[in-house]
Amino acid sequence: MNTSAPAIELQELTRTFGRFVAVDRVSFTVARGEIFGLLGANGAGKSTTIRMLCGLLAPTAGAAQVAGHDIAREAAAVKRSLGYMSQKFSLYPDLTVAENLAFYAGAYGLGGQLGRARQEEALVAADLVSRRDSLARDLPGGLRQRLALGAALLHHPAILFLDEPTAGVDPLARRTFWSVIRRLSREGTTLVVTTHHLDEAEYCHRVGLMVDGRLVALDTPARLKQDQLPGSLFAVDGATARELAEALAGLPGLLGLSPFGRQVHLRVAGPASDPERLRAWLAARGIAGVTLTRTEPTLEDVFLELVSRKPAGPMTKGPVTNEPGTAGPGGDGPGTAGPGGDGPGGAS
Amino acid sequence: MRALLRRSLAVATKEVRHILRDPQSLAFALGMPVLLIFLFGFAVNFDIDRVPLVIVDQEQTAASRRLVESFSAAGTFAIVARRDDPAAIEPLFRTGVAKAALVLPPGFTRRGLRGEEAVAQLLIDGSDNTSAAVALGYASVVALAASQTSATALLGQVEVPLQARVRTFFNPGLRSAVFLVPGLMVLILVMVAVMLTSLTVAREYERGSMEQLFATPVGRVEVILGKLGPYFVLGLLQVLLVLTLGVVIFDVPVRGSLLLLFGTAALFLLGMLTQGLLISVVTRQQMLASQVAALSTFLPALLLSGFIFPVESMPRLLQALAACLPARYFVHALRAILLRGNGLAEIWVDLLAMGLFFAALFVAAVRRFRRTLD
Repeated sequence: MNTSAPAIELQELTRTFGRFVAVDRVSFTVARGEIFGLLGANGAGKSTTIRMLCGLLAPTAGAAQVAGHDIAREAAAVKRSLGYMSQKFSLYPDLTVAENLAFYAGAYGLGGQLGRARQEEALVAADLVSRRDSLARDLPGGLRQRLALGAALLHHPAILFLDEPTAGVDPLARRTFWSVIRRLSREGTTLVVTTHHLDEAEYCHRVGLMVDGRLVALDTPARLKQDQLPGSLFAVDGATARELAEALAGLPGLLGLSPFGRQVHLRVAGPASDPERLRAWLAARGIAGVTLTRTEPTLEDVFLELVSRKPAGPMTKGPVTNEPGTAGPGGDGPGTAGPGGDGPGGAS
Repeated sequence: MRALLRRSLAVATKEVRHILRDPQSLAFALGMPVLLIFLFGFAVNFDIDRVPLVIVDQEQTAASRRLVESFSAAGTFAIVARRDDPAAIEPLFRTGVAKAALVLPPGFTRRGLRGEEAVAQLLIDGSDNTSAAVALGYASVVALAASQTSATALLGQVEVPLQARVRTFFNPGLRSAVFLVPGLMVLILVMVAVMLTSLTVAREYERGSMEQLFATPVGRVEVILGKLGPYFVLGLLQVLLVLTLGVVIFDVPVRGSLLLLFGTAALFLLGMLTQGLLISVVTRQQMLASQVAALSTFLPALLLSGFIFPVESMPRLLQALAACLPARYFVHALRAILLRGNGLAEIWVDLLAMGLFFAALFVAAVRRFRRTLD
């Protein structure tokens, strides 16, 4: 593989199921050693994209190359160069830790001395040497997932696909997991991760945001926030999004308003960025006693903004294939989903 | 090639571990044959003996008593009652006390001795038609023998011009066990092979591990080889088990070649394993797969394979249906090898039919498997 060539390249990759367009002309490239995050609500097309890249699903149209191999024509070569951890399953619960690793070593064609060395290496890396004879079903979630990661890395793949790797894992284990992912990236492994934990996406070098099968934004987390959310962001306590939307209608410089957990995030530019002015404007319209806190935008703000913008978002093109989303500002936004919670339910 | 072997072996090793770690499926695989062979060998017995018989001897002479004696002597009939009036028979039939009745009218032997027509009546309870048919057969033989005896008594030593002498080949005692054990082998292989393989593959779909498996370089062929291999060996073990039990407990003869026997069983097993695979790649759910497996194997094998009911006497439609069942050919081939000592020359049609079934299902299963995750 050419060292300067991208690890992964997609050209208008498309997948339909009957009349449903799960992935709609998605194009992007992932550089070697990059941690690439795919974000989106359930059903946005993240998993379908990953499954096509892993050779598990044939694309309906478009093309993609993984590690320099075409996914449609060279599926075998693609599979040899990637590791995959699916969201649903990674280990056999009725086999022991060692037996699971032995199976995957065999599945990747690693036999003899090399196979044994790699299994031992995975045991050590997952810190499971003392539990090698425990059944996988008896391991706590965090350990099981470390073992699954170890199994996916047995053949030292150049590219690792992780589909919702931290679903159902406690926060501490999630943090350890991400430190492993960052180490792998430093060692040169390319990682593609899907997640709906928006805080995790901050760990990614670049993030692609998918809405209804389309890639609507793609950049580094910092640039996404800067480009997609200009102006100043305030967290507002003490009034509902609906009340604020009514009161702020007509405010010059109002850029956006969206419910965010129990607060409302308000984005303004120009003179309206002065909190005193804002408070005065609100007081004049019957809303007093609100707290305004200037905050840094998170990826969740970006996500909510982009979802609310569709179907006419900057990178959207072509006809809208699904019913209009319902998660816009002033609508029934996510009641309790703070950062780290699930994405807005209405956007699937 | 080496990589293919290594990957198939990895899948097979994993499969063996699944089997060993799940005592239920292992108990099912090895316990079922033993259970079935005892059930069919001892409880399900088509041999007829000691049919309860009522005697209505209205003649009461030495000759009539001799005839009655010849009926009870063979062991086929057991005299349970004696009555004077034929009208007393029906209540005995109704209550199930007797299943057959012999009525000798007054003057029966005397008329016979005078060379006139002598009519005795044999009444049989037809509600159990298997016993009825067999009892009738035995009764005719007894009556024929008796009339010959009396003819000899009447005319002195004579040669009867036409004589029918029945000699049963291959299973002289007409024991059902000898007949049933080969059939039982079919029932067991069909159930265990199809059921277990359909469950194991459907389980991988249900758990999502099939997807994980396909993300590795393990291909379809390796999954099939690795998944079916252990069950193939298990199936051959069952053949050995049933055969040993049949020979040791029921004296089932092995007149043909053992090699041919196992070869035939192997071919049949391949078809059954492939059927299980096809069921699971289509259903992808353990629950549904086990139901389809049970329906598509047990009943047809029990009813249409010729295991119990001869295919030749079935209605046309059922015969046509039976012709599509590999079980039908396997039963035929097994009986041919075990009981008649037949070789390839006699059973090649059966082997060909089983081979065709296997090939057709294999192609269908692999095709279906290819689109597996779409």
